[in-house]
Amino acid sequence: MSEDLQIRISREEGDKAVSVLRLNGSLDANTQGELESKAQEAVDSGAEYLLLDMSGVEYLGSAGMRAIHAITNILSPDDPSMRSARLKVVNPSPAAAKIFKTLGFDSFIDIHDSIDEAVAGL
Amino acid sequence: MRLKVRADLGQLRRIREFVTDSASALGAESTSFDDLRLAVDEAVTNIITHGYGGAGDIELELSSEGSDLIVRLRDNAPSFDPNLAPEADLRLPGDREKSGGLGVYLMQSVMDEIIHRSIETGNELVMTKRNVIGSARLSAAEKDG
Repeated sequence: MSEDLQIRISREEGDKAVSVLRLNGSLDANTQGELESKAQEAVDSGAEYLLLDMSGVEYLGSAGMRAIHAITNILSPDDPSMRSARLKVVNPSPAAAKIFKTLGFDSFIDIHDSIDEAVAGL
Repeated sequence: MRLKVRADLGQLRRIREFVTDSASALGAESTSFDDLRLAVDEAVTNIITHGYGGAGDIELELSSEGSDLIVRLRDNAPSFDPNLAPEADLRLPGDREKSGGLGVYLMQSVMDEIIHRSIETGNELVMTKRNVIGSARLSAAEKDG
């Protein structure tokens, strides 16, 4: 595993099978695969909803966006539109939020200020 | 300010750090650092994944011309002009993950000029961010004033 990105996975308590992936570091072409692997791991372990806490993302490039797209396909394989209701992004860092906005992904992906707000919206 | 690195995605973080350090040393405004890191990361990623597709070297050079910051990237890979990469139409779901397209879109959105040249040994990409060297902007304003 690269030292450039740390990913911690935890389960939320509640009625729904929700896992939170907390990202710290850089989400680039070198670490894109690690995020996709961890997301797949969480889904294989039973998660039906994933929350990506991106408050610790110091760098986000287009490769990270491709990873997020890949995760929507893992969660909703029958819907290629990226509008997966099963994925929420939480509290993106300013650097990450700027990329979401520049690429217009903020109109396709739900972005929330907190884990609690994201869970309430599921 | 020059850096020569192996064409390896594992070098991306080091390259971004070099961009920040060099831009700072050249007197660029700190508000430009994110944009410069993004453009260089995307350009280098394209060179590694679309240009070389294997082993090679990349040379990176940052310099200033007046108030402009210039980034030069040289490689020995087959010719690849990012300006000619298929443009991603972000309204189309299938296009959002098009290889290369999103990265080029980001590069073009944060830099003022991107020029690709085929050189004898491979490719040279020259990217310009205008009006970001603070001290040069100040002296130009004083001269005008």
